[in-house]
Amino acid sequence: MIRTIDIIHYAYKQAPWRVQRRWISAFLLIVLALSMIAALYLDVTARAALTGREIQNLSADIITIQQSNADLETQIATLTSNSAMETRALALNYQPLQTNQVQFIIVPDYIASPPPILTSAPSLQPSTPTIQPEYTQSLLDWFDQRLRTSLSISMMGASQ
Amino acid sequence: MREQYAWRSWTLTTVLALVGFSIILQIVHIQNSPEAATFRAQSAQFAQTVQTFYPERGEIYDRNGHLLAGNKTVYEIGVDLRNVKDKHAVALAVGVELGLNPDDLYNLMANPPGNLTYLILANYVDEDKALSLEQIKITADQQTSSGGQSSLSGLEFTPHPERTYPEGALASNVIGFVSHEGRGYFGVEEKYNDLLAGSPVQVKVPVDPNQAADIPQVPNGTTLILTLNRDLQAATEQILDNSITKYGAQGGTIVIMDPRNGEILTMASTPRMDLNQFWNYSSIYQNASEYNLAVSTPYEPGSVLKILTMAAALDNSTVTPNTTFLDTGSILIGGATIKNWNDEAWGLQDMEGCIQNSLNVCMAWISSQMGAQNFYGYMNRFGLGHLTGIDLADEAAGRLKAPGDSDWSPSDLGTNAFGQGVAATPIQIMMAASAIANNSRMVTPHVLYAMVRDGRQFNVPAQYAGSPISVNTAQTLDQILATSIENEASLASVPGYRIAGKTGTAQIPVPGGYDPTLTNASFIGWGPIDDPRFMIYVWLESPSASIWGSETAAPVFAQVAQKTILMLNIPPDDIRQQIAQH
Repeated sequence: MIRTIDIIHYAYKQAPWRVQRRWISAFLLIVLALSMIAALYLDVTARAALTGREIQNLSADIITIQQSNADLETQIATLTSNSAMETRALALNYQPLQTNQVQFIIVPDYIASPPPILTSAPSLQPSTPTIQPEYTQSLLDWFDQRLRTSLSISMMGASQ
Repeated sequence: MREQYAWRSWTLTTVLALVGFSIILQIVHIQNSPEAATFRAQSAQFAQTVQTFYPERGEIYDRNGHLLAGNKTVYEIGVDLRNVKDKHAVALAVGVELGLNPDDLYNLMANPPGNLTYLILANYVDEDKALSLEQIKITADQQTSSGGQSSLSGLEFTPHPERTYPEGALASNVIGFVSHEGRGYFGVEEKYNDLLAGSPVQVKVPVDPNQAADIPQVPNGTTLILTLNRDLQAATEQILDNSITKYGAQGGTIVIMDPRNGEILTMASTPRMDLNQFWNYSSIYQNASEYNLAVSTPYEPGSVLKILTMAAALDNSTVTPNTTFLDTGSILIGGATIKNWNDEAWGLQDMEGCIQNSLNVCMAWISSQMGAQNFYGYMNRFGLGHLTGIDLADEAAGRLKAPGDSDWSPSDLGTNAFGQGVAATPIQIMMAASAIANNSRMVTPHVLYAMVRDGRQFNVPAQYAGSPISVNTAQTLDQILATSIENEASLASVPGYRIAGKTGTAQIPVPGGYDPTLTNASFIGWGPIDDPRFMIYVWLESPSASIWGSETAAPVFAQVAQKTILMLNIPPDDIRQQIAQH
């Protein structure tokens, strides 16, 4: 009887190298999983960092463009200043108008133009650009957020 | 055999486990050590920088959209001494490009004050010069082997905005200027400094790109649109400058206002300064009141004030246009003998004659007939001695002595009636006269036409400062003033247009009395009287060609009125009547 049991046990007992291989496989699987998570984390973090740097550069560009815009406005104003325009007009042989040179003609039903409005029609202001969490969150932040969300949902369910 | 060596494996495993455990233990220990808090604080400190975002100062435009004050980019050129490799090269490059002395720059870098590590070599450098120098630095950097420092290393360029005035000195007395510290001085720049400057915002900006945050929305300063008409302002300034030369005046001012709503169309004054070189202020002006004569310098206006005396007397029913007065050439008021401008007697005069011939004796008689309480009551309601409330910095209130004041005497009642012994600014007299021109409604003068903020334009409504006289009085006096201009064949008349106006010639007070030779020549007028579009005030200080306002200020008024008519496109009276009939 005992012998029979030994035979059966032996028959079903795995070879030591099989056990070792199973352990090694499990270990490698864990290492692979961790490596994949690490690689994913690195990739997301690197992308977020690049995007963040790009945002910082764009922010700097906005300021530069605003300054450039102000410079151009000033240059235009200087080129069209009263003294500059008068000089150009005289160079083109224009003469200052005198009151006795003016001829008024009555145009029936003429409606004078309204006073100028120096701005465009009131327009909707663009809302403040917001950066999506996907561009700022790390993988751990994402897990943390998901975890907190799940917990809060489950707590709400429990309280009901 | 294998079991024989198993203890080795166990020993190695235990040692490695112990090492691992001790590493973890040490990590936990370091994380919770007292030093860790310090490092964490340092980390938090360097994880973000505090940046101050200054809003761009609001621009200033004239009523037709011409830029009068804007912003341009200039550069601060500095040097970080920790990164400088060759001080000689830096000093030479900066000196040659910016026109500075290289020796001075080198000495500054060699002996930095207070052991500073960053020095400003030049500030407010024009963009083209700064970019030229920056290009030289870039070239030097490129020629240097990778990783090394170029000869111009350490040179830094920081752009920042600076106020700029494309029109130079045009309307400088109205606009004012902004110092390098960003504070507005005089005129609109000072009066609306808070609106124009906006509010700087301090923001903590993370250094970590992962923490990149949105740009703070710093609203720019409010943009202002003035009531000034740039081209008319330039023409007025030109006429003023020519008149000062022609009549040998020491200075002067010309103001054009729309009497219907108080909008100041031009305000020319001497001297003026190029606002882009505001540091010359102290060499041009002796004191602040000289910056804008029209609002900051009260003076004895003389006979232009007779229109207010006559308005008060007509409104008070002390006189009517047909009231007659026998001018004997002098009158005794409060113990003082008052005479006419030519020391002559003008005989029997009605009120139109009193105005047309500018008779001091008649005016003194009128004020004495009104009585001090009535006379000064009206002058108060006309705003004499009070600020008009014009939206320009440094307005002066002038002085109107009244019974009860320690320095008032009964003779002042007579002299005040023809504009002596009372100090007023041109803008005060214009505000008072607007009640006559504008059917009794007195307007508050102002230079702000509109504000632009967040892409919207907010127009400034006209403000009225009461009705010191009745509509009937205003219309009656309007006709008297217009007729007197026509009868006199005044040099102030403008062909084709009915104008109301009054000259003024006032002696200049000096300690102990009045200067015997110098006068202030003035003229106030408006038109067309049936639909007044402009009111013009001319003041010439001490003209040497003639002491009389009728020979100096009056023709200047006519010139300015003609230019105004052209630029505001005002048809002659007959054309306007035809238009009205259609």
